[in-house]
Amino acid sequence: MNSAQTIHPHLYVDDRPQEGIFRVHKNVYADPQVFELEIEHIFNKTWSFLGLTSQIPKAHDWISTHIARSPILITRDGSNEIKAFINACRHKGSQLTRTEKGNNKYHSCPYHGWVYGSNGKLADIKDKEHAQYAPAFDDESHDLIPIGKIAVYKGLIFGSLSPDVPELEDFLGELKFFIDLAMDQGEHGMEFIPGNIEFAYEGNWKLQLENGTDAYHLTSTHVGFLDLMAKRAMGQGNIEAKQFDWQKRFSQNGGDFQFEHGHTLIWLNQAEVKKRPIYPSIEAIEKRLGKDRAEWMLKMRNMSIFPNLQIADSTSLLMRTFRPLAVNRTELRYWCLAPIGEPAAQRAWRLRQFEDFFNVSGLATPDDTITYETCQNGFESSKLDWLQGHARGMMSVQAGASETAKALGFSPQASVDAGFMVQSESSFHPIYREWARMMKAGVLGGKTYE
Amino acid sequence: MNEATQSALLLAQQLIAKDHCYLDEKRWPEWLELFTSDCEYWVPAWLSEEELVTDHQTQLSHIYYNSRAGLEDRIARIVSRKSPASVPLRRTTHMSANLAIEDASKPGEIQAKISWTCHIFDPRSKKTFMLFGTSHYTWRQQLETWRIAAKKTIIQNDYLPSMVDIYCL
Repeated sequence: MNSAQTIHPHLYVDDRPQEGIFRVHKNVYADPQVFELEIEHIFNKTWSFLGLTSQIPKAHDWISTHIARSPILITRDGSNEIKAFINACRHKGSQLTRTEKGNNKYHSCPYHGWVYGSNGKLADIKDKEHAQYAPAFDDESHDLIPIGKIAVYKGLIFGSLSPDVPELEDFLGELKFFIDLAMDQGEHGMEFIPGNIEFAYEGNWKLQLENGTDAYHLTSTHVGFLDLMAKRAMGQGNIEAKQFDWQKRFSQNGGDFQFEHGHTLIWLNQAEVKKRPIYPSIEAIEKRLGKDRAEWMLKMRNMSIFPNLQIADSTSLLMRTFRPLAVNRTELRYWCLAPIGEPAAQRAWRLRQFEDFFNVSGLATPDDTITYETCQNGFESSKLDWLQGHARGMMSVQAGASETAKALGFSPQASVDAGFMVQSESSFHPIYREWARMMKAGVLGGKTYE
Repeated sequence: MNEATQSALLLAQQLIAKDHCYLDEKRWPEWLELFTSDCEYWVPAWLSEEELVTDHQTQLSHIYYNSRAGLEDRIARIVSRKSPASVPLRRTTHMSANLAIEDASKPGEIQAKISWTCHIFDPRSKKTFMLFGTSHYTWRQQLETWRIAAKKTIIQNDYLPSMVDIYCL
C-alpha cells in the first residue's frame, strides 16, 4: 500500500471554534508527504503572485519567476497583452530564458535554437525544411504552454497553473481594501526599487507565512532590535534610519481581519505617522483617495495573500514571496515597494528604513529566519505533536465585520478589534482553514473551487 | 612601484589584517575604533545577475550606513545576546588577497582594494558557508592613527544562508 495515498493532511488542523480549540499539528511543517501534496493541491491549483505590471512596462518586456517548482515566463506581447507561460522549450524542456528580466521580441532556445515570439507562439524550428518530421509532428502545437489563468489587479500580476480558479478579484475578495492601501500610495502606480534581496532558510514555508502576521513574537524574537530602537528614540545610534519608537506601539489599538480564501491581516495604529516615507505626500493622497484611506495608509498593516505573498507596511512598504523548495527549505524574495516618481528624499528615507529592519543583512529578519530553523529542528521530534501556537486571542474574535471594518466599508469573515497586547494568533486561522480545505479537496478528489 | 605606493601597500596590509582579525576574534570595541565616526559603510545589492547597485540613494543595498553609529548598533545587538541570529555566534576566518593601492597621492589618505573570502561555521546547524567578494577601503589619517573613512564591500555570492552580519563580510 502506498502510504502517500493514505494520509489526510486536513486532519492536522483541529478547528473547533465552539469549543475554543484551534490546533495545528507539527506534521504540516515537517512531513515530506504533506509537502508533496501541498505542491500538488495548493500551489498548482491556486493564484500565485508573479510580478508587477511596472516591471514589464514596454512591449516585449519579460520577467521570469516560479510557481512552486514550475519556471514561469511573463511577457508583454507586441499588442501590449500580458501573458504567462511555462518557461520551458517545447523541444527538450530547456528553460527558455536564463536571466530574470529582459526585452525580446523573440526568445530563442539556446539548446537547439527553436524560436518563440513574445506572445508564446512558435516562430521557427531550426532547419525545419530539412527535418523529415512525420506529418503527426505538425499536428501538434509547438507553442509555449500557457499557464491556466492570468489576471492583473492594481498592477499586481497573478497567475494560476490551473484554469479552475475563481476570478482574481473574487479570490482577493474583501482584502482588496487593504491591497488598495498599498498599491494606491503612488498616484502613478507602484514599483519595486531596483536591488535584489533573495535568500533561503532551512525551514518550512508556512513558518514565514505565519510570522508575517505574528504580533506576539516581536517582544521576544526582536528584543535586541527593540533595545536599539529605545536607544535611538533618545537620539543615540543610527538615527539616520528614521526607525520608529517601537515602545510606543505596545499601547496602540489594533486587531486583525480574517478573509475568505486564506487571506489574513493584522493592523495597528501608528504613533509616529510623521516617520512614514509617504507622510510628506499625505495631503495629496487624502485629496485623491479621501481621509479614511489616507489615515489607514499610515497605520501598520501586515497581510498575507494565501499562499505565499505578503505585503507588510510596518516600517516601510515591503512585498515578500516565499517559494517552497522542500519541506524544510524555503526561498525568500524581498522587494522594497515604492510610489513611481517618489521624491528623492523620501526614496532614500524608505530605503534606509527597509534595510535597517527587513533585509536579511538587517537587524530584524535574521532573527526571524534563524528562529524558523530552530522550529524546524523541534518538529523532528516524534514526541512533539499538536502545537499550542494558534490559540491566543480566540476570545477576542468576533464573526463578521467589527465596528472598524463597518466604518471602512468592507466585510471580513471575522474581526478582532483589540489593543496590541492581545497579540492574537487568530490571524493564522484563515490560513489553516483554507489550507485544510484545499488539501482535503485535493486528497479526496473533490473540486478545489466550486 | 614608487616609495609612496610601497609604504601605502605595507600600511594597507596591516590595516586590512586588523579589520579581519578583530572581526574573526570578535574584538568589537577595537574593530569599531578602526572606523572614523563619519565613515561610510556600504554593501551594495545586485541589480541583476551581472550588474551591481551603483547608487545607495535610489537603489536597495544590503547595508548602507553613513556614520559609525550603524556599526555601533550592530555590535550592541550582537553583544546583547538578545538576538537569536547571534547566539551562538558564527565562527569566521577572513582571508584576503590581491591587495592593490588605488590611490595614495593625497597626503593622509589611502585607497585600496582587496579580494576576500570569509569562511563561516555555524555551530548551531554544524554547517559551513563561504562568502566572497571584493572590498574597497579608504583610510584617513587622524593624528597618529589611520582609520577607515569608507568601506564598500561587494558580495559576489549574495544568495545568503539564512542570515548575514557584518562579521561575515
